[in-house]
Formats: sequence, C-alpha cells, structure tokens
Amino acid sequence: MTAAEPDVDDVDAGDDADSAPRPAPRGRVAALITVPIALVLVVFVVILATRDPASDREVESPLLGQLAPRIEGTNVLTGRPFDSATFDRRWLLVNFFATWCVPCVQEHPELVAFQRGQAEAGEANVVSVVFDDQPDAVERFFARNGGDWPVVLTDDTVVAQWGVAGVPESYLVDPGGIVRAKLVGGVTAAGLDRLVAQAEGAIAPDAGAPDTGGGG
Amino acid sequence: MSRRALWVLLGLIVVVALVLGTRSGEARSTDERVQAIGRGVRCPTCAGQSVSTSDAPAAKAIRSQIRADVEAGRSDDTIRARLTASYGDDVLLNPPRSGFAGLVWIVPVAAVVVAFGGLALAFRRWERAAPAGPSRRDRALVAAALGQDPDDSHGEGSGR
Amino acid sequence: MNAALGTAGVALALAASIGGVLTVVVAQSRRRPLLLRQVPSFVALAVLGAVMAVVAMQRALITRDFSVEFVADNGSRATALPFTISTMWSALEGSILLWGLVLVGYLAAVTWKFRSRLTDPLVAWALLAMFVVTAFFFGLMAGPANPFRTVADPPADGPGPNPLLQDNLLMAFHPPMLYLGYVGFTVPFAFAIGALVTGRAGEGWLVETRRWTLFAWGFLTVGIVLGAWWSYEVLGWGGYWAWDPVENASLLPWLTGTAYLHSVMIQERRGMLRVWNLSLLCATFALTILGTFLTRSGVLDSVHAFTESAIGPIVLGFFALIVVVTLGLIGWRGDTLRAPGRIDSPLSREGAFLANNVLFAGFAFVVLFGTVFPLLAEALNDRRVSVGVPYFNRMAGPIGLMLLFLMAVAPALPWRKASTETLSQRLLWPAWFGTGTVVACVVAGVRGLVPLVAFGMGAFAAAAAVRQVVLATRRSGWRGLVGRTNGGMIVHLGVVLIAVGLAASGSFAEQTEARLGPGESRTVHGHEVAFASFTESDRDPTRTIREADMRVDGTTLAPRLQRFPNGSQEVGKPAVRYGVGDTVYLALLEGPRADGTILVRIIVQPLVAWLWAGGLVMLVGTALSAFPGRRRRGTEPTSAPSDWSRAPSARVTGTDADADSDETDRPEREPVGAP
Repeated sequence: MTAAEPDVDDVDAGDDADSAPRPAPRGRVAALITVPIALVLVVFVVILATRDPASDREVESPLLGQLAPRIEGTNVLTGRPFDSATFDRRWLLVNFFATWCVPCVQEHPELVAFQRGQAEAGEANVVSVVFDDQPDAVERFFARNGGDWPVVLTDDTVVAQWGVAGVPESYLVDPGGIVRAKLVGGVTAAGLDRLVAQAEGAIAPDAGAPDTGGGG
Repeated sequence: MSRRALWVLLGLIVVVALVLGTRSGEARSTDERVQAIGRGVRCPTCAGQSVSTSDAPAAKAIRSQIRADVEAGRSDDTIRARLTASYGDDVLLNPPRSGFAGLVWIVPVAAVVVAFGGLALAFRRWERAAPAGPSRRDRALVAAALGQDPDDSHGEGSGR
Repeated sequence: MNAALGTAGVALALAASIGGVLTVVVAQSRRRPLLLRQVPSFVALAVLGAVMAVVAMQRALITRDFSVEFVADNGSRATALPFTISTMWSALEGSILLWGLVLVGYLAAVTWKFRSRLTDPLVAWALLAMFVVTAFFFGLMAGPANPFRTVADPPADGPGPNPLLQDNLLMAFHPPMLYLGYVGFTVPFAFAIGALVTGRAGEGWLVETRRWTLFAWGFLTVGIVLGAWWSYEVLGWGGYWAWDPVENASLLPWLTGTAYLHSVMIQERRGMLRVWNLSLLCATFALTILGTFLTRSGVLDSVHAFTESAIGPIVLGFFALIVVVTLGLIGWRGDTLRAPGRIDSPLSREGAFLANNVLFAGFAFVVLFGTVFPLLAEALNDRRVSVGVPYFNRMAGPIGLMLLFLMAVAPALPWRKASTETLSQRLLWPAWFGTGTVVACVVAGVRGLVPLVAFGMGAFAAAAAVRQVVLATRRSGWRGLVGRTNGGMIVHLGVVLIAVGLAASGSFAEQTEARLGPGESRTVHGHEVAFASFTESDRDPTRTIREADMRVDGTTLAPRLQRFPNGSQEVGKPAVRYGVGDTVYLALLEGPRADGTILVRIIVQPLVAWLWAGGLVMLVGTALSAFPGRRRRGTEPTSAPSDWSRAPSARVTGTDADADSDETDRPEREPVGAP
C-alpha cells in the first residue's frame, strides 16, 4: 500500500485536496443542482400519482359532431344489399358486435328491447355491423336471440372508418347523419332511450347544427 | 502513401459508397407501403403494438383500410390523416412534431445538446486552468503502474 | 398449511429486516458498534423467512393447493412441471416474492463478504439501506401484494398461467435473470448511500462494489436479451423489441448502469466524477423501482402489464422516498465530496468516457421521457398522444450510431491526452476494415443509409476491439483475455453483433401473409415455403396442438396453434429456422378452412441469430471482465504494465502495445514526476 492510498477506513477526500492546485471546491453547487432536479421529480411524481389507470379512461371519438361514415354491405339476415345512405332518416344506433364477444351477447336483449320500444315510438332504428365474424354464426345468433333489424356484413374498412377498437361499440347518429355519441361496452335499453332523448333535446333548438354534445 | 493520404482516401471511399448505397432504385410495392404505414399506427386494442404486428381484428381492419387507401392512390400523409379522423391523434405511434407533443422530440435533443455544450465548457475551463503538477495521487499511480505494488495496481487502495 | 407457512415466512423476513434496520440505526446513533455483530443473525432470519415463503409457494403450486388464491388464480392441474414452477413469477404477487428472495440472497452475500468489517460505518450504512429495501418488499407481501391470501372455497382447478407464458422454457429463465440484475443494483446503491452518509466517497467503496455492479449488469443484460428472444419465439409477429413500457423499464437501469461502468474508470484513474458516479448508481436503483411502478400500477398500457393492483401508490411512494433521500444526501454532501482535477484533453480516454456518459444518460432520458410522455401530455395538456416504436427508433438510432463510433475510437485513445499521430496510426486499419465493409455491402446490393452506416461503424468498432484483444493476448497470453479492459472488449464485440443484427433485421425484413393449400408454396426473399399437411393431436395432455407441416427450402418447420385446457383462446406458436444470414419465421394465423387452405405469416429477416449470439458474447465478456477473482494482479492493461511479473522486456518491445498500457501513454503525457 502506497502512502497516498489511505485505508478505506480513512476519509480519503482530504487526500486529493492537499495535492490539488487549488482547494477543493466548496459551496452550494450541489444544492443548486439537486434542488431543481428535486422539484422536477416532485412534479413528475405528483403527475404519476394522479393518473387514473389506463383502462378507466373514457374513449372520446373524433367522429362526434362529424358526418357518419357510410356503411355499405349485405344484410346477413335477408341477403339483400344494405347502404346507410339510402336508409331511413331517423335516429340510428350503429352497433358493432361479434358473436364471440361475451358483452355483445349480454347486451343483445337490451338492444332488442330498445329497438322494440323505439319501433313503436318511431324514433330510432338499430343497425348492427358484424365485426370479424362469420355470416352463418351471425345468422344462428339472431335466430336464437331475436332481433330483426339490419345486420350488415361489410368490408372491414368500415370498422376502421368508424374508429372501432373492439366490440361491442355503439354510435348514435342523428337524423342529419351526424354522429352524436359513442358508447364503448355493453348498453342498456333504458340508457339508450335516455341518450336519444338527451341528444334530441341538445340538437332541437338549432335543428341539425353540428354540435358536439351528447357524449356517451 | 502517407498516412494522411490514406485517411483522405478512406473518407472519399466512404462518401462515394454511402452515396451509391442510399440511392434507392425500385419503387415500393403496395405491400411494403401498407407495412410501413402500419408500423406507425397503434393497434387500438393491443397496448403498444402497431397494426403491422398485431392480429387483433381492429388491427386487421385498419390494415385493410390502409391497403384500400394505398390502392386508391392516396399519399401516406393523407392515409394517416384519415385514420386520425376516425381514431383520434393518438392512433399514430409517431407523436406529432408541433404543439405540446412536439416537446417529446425537442426536449431530449436539447438535453443532449446542452450536456455536450456543458462538456465543451468544462473542457475549456480545464484548459485554462494551470496544468497541475504531479500530485501525490499521480505519483502513486505511476508507482503502482511501474509495478512497485502489484496488489494495488489501480491506485485505489486495497483496503483489506 | 402452505398459506400459513408462507405467511409465516413473509412475516419472519419482514420482522428480521425491520430488526436489522433498528439494530443498525441504534448502533450508529448510540455509537454502539458492537451491536452490528448481531446483523448476521437478522440476515439469516430474513433468508430463512424468504426461503420458507418460496418453498411454501412452490409447494402450493406443485401440489395444486387451490386454497391459496395465487394458485387458484394462476395455477392449473394441466400445466407441465417447469411451467408450474415458473408460474410463481408469471403474476404480480409471486414476482414480488421472487424479488424478495433474490434481494435477501444479495443481502446474505454482502453480509458474508463483509463479515469481518461489519462495524465499519460504510458497511453498516450500506446494510441499513439494504435492510430498508428488504423491509419494503416484504412489507408489500405482508400487505397489498400478499401472495398467500387464501380462498374460503377452493376451486377444483385454476386457469393456469397465461398461455403465452407456458410456451417456451425461456420464460422460466428470463425473469429470474432479469431480477438478478434488477435487484443486484441494490448492492452498489446501498454502498453509494453508505459512502454519501459517511462522506467517504473516495475510491474505497468503488472497489467494494465494482464487481457487484458488473455482476448485476451482466445478469440484466442476459435477462434483457432472453426477454427479446422470448418475444421473438413466442409472440408471433416476428419482433423482439417493441419499446413497450416493460421493456423500457428494464432498459433504463441498463443504460445508466452501463454509463456507470464506464465513468467509474475515470474515478478510479483520476479521482474525478465522484458525485456523478454516486448519482448514476442512485439513479439506476431508483429507475428499477420506477420501472416497477410504471409496469405494475396500470398507469401505462403494456402488453406485459400484470393486472392492476393496489401496490402502485406504495411503490411510487417508495420511489419518492429514494429520490428525496438520495438527492438530499447528494445536495448535503455533494460539495465536500467533489474532487478537484482536470481532464487534459477531450481527445483522451477520459474524454471518450465523458462523451459516452452524455450519450448513455441522454439515451436513458429519451427512453424515460418517451415512456412517460403520454401521461405528461394528458396531465399538462389534456391531449392524448402515443409515443411508440417509430419515435424510439428515430431517437435511439443516431445515439446508437454515435455510441458505435465511440466504441471504435475510445479503446485506441490513451489516458490524459492523445496525439492525432498515435490515433491515426492505431485507428487506421480498423477504419479501413469499416470502410471495406461498407464497400462490400454496397457491392452486395445493400441499400439504405442507416444500415450501411451501422454496418460500417460496427465493423470499425469490432476491428478496434479485436485489435485490443490481439495486442493484449500477444503480450500476456491467455491473460490478455481476462480482466476488465480485455473482457470489456469482448463485451464490445457482443454489442457490435447485436447492433449489426438490429440494423439488418430492422431494415431488411420481408413479410407476407400467404394463404396456402396443401402442396402449394410461396417464395419469399429466395426461400421457398411449402405447405405439406396439417395435423391435429392431443398427445400432449397439457394442450391441444394443431400443427402445419411446412417445408422451408426442404427442411421441416411446424408452426402451431395451441389450445390450453383452461384457456378459451387458441394461441399461435411460431416456428423459426435460424441461419447465419436469413432467419425464416413462420406463424400460423388460421387453421385449415373448408377448402383446406391455411393462412400463414412468413417473415424472412437477416441476421436475427446475431442478436442472440451477441448476447452470449456479452455474457462471456462480462464473465471474463470479472475473472481475476480475489487475487487481482496487475494484469489489466488499464492499470498496469502488460506483464510486470513475467516479462519485463515486453515493456521495451511493446511499441505497438495496448493503448491502455502506460508505456504507450507515456510519450504523450506531460512530464510527470519520477516516482
């Protein structure tokens, strides 16, 4: 062991000081550096601490207030072509679904109830769009679970144009063809009725003017 | 040939090779374009994967949409804009370069530039500082390096 | 029974680590150092507790004790034994248990290593830090992440681990390796805390922790590479790195750790950068905890994210505590610890290490900032943005290329100051090798700026590393392969393999989805892929296998779709044929339709095998770096003449000797005082 190398038990900071050309820097440099870093990290931790879990965040669709993308395809139940452009000018609930999706199966009776109620009031129609599924499975599904609204098998580009991420997703479109609300996950008949009433109220004053009200 | 000339020659060769090597000849096929655009689009249901790498139904749908758009002759930017119109800005994995999101590009680059600037300043300060005479540590290092104390060759104290 | 044993084990380890904390605190504050001799008993109890808990968990898993909630949620009767064992780290609570086990392992190793110096304040404070961390993790297990919660009404069977985790034995090794690395950084962190508290930030504590850091770093490297390998072999999209938050969380401490392994050499050599090095170690450890938060709290979407749990806020609180303590200590001690000194020239080994540190720290900042930016944007701007693969690739690419360049130049730079003369002589043939590689690639038809520059720089760096190793072995025989500098050069070779593999496989992948009937084939990038037949079998009791028999250039590959008894989804298992050049990757997307056709994804990617080979080379290099065991002699060229004991003449003859060795440095040095 050389003289210059103290045992680790010694404080060896002084060792350098005596051989240095100038005295060891003293002062508040460390504090000046650490305090801003600490502040930034405090903000960082606060931001992290106040974030909701990713899964709870509500999806907003940029389509709200915009013209609904056209849906063209075949009605699985009737075998006839379907085109939303020539479809009945009423409120429209566009429901993306698949038979393999459990919440879709769960929400189906609610859709049936909603459609039955609205058919009487003459206010709204339901259109289902098949999402990644086979036509025969869809036919069996409707035969078993009821429902006689248009069930459209389309090119899957329609899914992308509507911005659908997964199923079930539903969109409420007003008679002017403007998307008013997006619903992710299962729906209930009561909730849909309320939503239609709300959306009608929201657009009634300035009939049809695009406004972004009516979030899901 | 002098060593200097060898370096100059080397530089020339590298530049020529890189120029030749970056001239891309063939136009990209539809498949390649769909792949390339898809790599920059987030699969909406599958956390962090792009639509090019995912087999989720929504990813397949977006791929079909991109393919249809490519075949319709739309430009890459238009295709991306159409996707953000239905899925929102965050469907693009590449954050926008303007607005608040532009910070994600600027801040790290600025940080690295500032750090290198600080390093340059430090070197200038060191250069101006009077050269130090050999310190005890230097001597110890030399002594150790010359093998006087093989067990302490690092000059760090064995301490045991 | 298992639950009771496990709970007792967790409680014992928690109590022992709290006991350890109290003992050290009392000993230090009341100045009763003899109390510190009790520390080993607390460590022993903590080890006993952790082992009890792990044994209980494994016993519960293997005997299918579904009264333990963790087993009921994650185990299943149908899972094969290796995957039953690895089920422990396939979900949150069990992975924390593994973390705890590894942590007490390190605690015991540190205590054993320093058993004769327990009363040394530096060691005492380090042990205190380790006890606090241990207490935190066992506290998690005693509270919100309890792996031994019981269910009143045990089910008859469980769902088993995620099918993706039962596919490949790599999954059994990847997390333990990663944890050995992650947790291993606790040791240098603890010593950094000890050094800060005691004010002994000189070179002494470095010696204590250098090999521990290297050890942790090596395991983290292996863990990351195995993780990439697992992704490639299992996930079916032909990728190995997706800049996913979990992957980033493992990369962050690796980056700061790598920066430290380089900058620490300046401190050893010149006594400078003490505070910076301490900060790097603290940052590395803090990043492991932050990574745990980011990936376990559910704030970020991630493919790997475990289900949400209540541990998020607690881990974040611990991260805040670490930040406050370390920043407080650095702010308090920083100025007195700073060592005076100057670095003579940017064109020197020190200069290269400083540039390396800026780049690695910048790299870490990019990865961290990009990972959390969506959260920041949402909080500060109320806008949602995604920051994904294209962003990280674009930012990491230039940094990676600059690092490759440094890797090529730095080994040829002497300490203190280099003359351009020396540099030009030492770098000439590595540079020509790099140039030759670029030319050869262009001639062979490789196009694209980034891959060409990457190949050229890679060849340049590899040649520089080989040059160092050749010089060192010529001088000192097999000892030229061991030691930090020489082992480091082997690590560099591994990094070059990986860098070249990344550039090639990232730039030149060819991918297609083909619908093939039996007997049909498709040619992708010169490889003929033919579909022969399709089989379905349930010979394996743990899964139903549907397999396509494919021929790739005549050899058989069988991508599969598998269904596990308790899983509703069918999961693909790709088949891969590695080659020195192209790798052919087949992933079955759809089983046969009515017409007998299948849908298969075919990916041909060059140089993927280089990634895994590079990981292996890095492992070997790390082991060589740590090699000269306890009897460290002057065999490392950084520190001593080449072969002081055996061949003094080597010093005279070594005109083109290793740049590290002092004799080649000497002419360029300012005159130094004779010893």
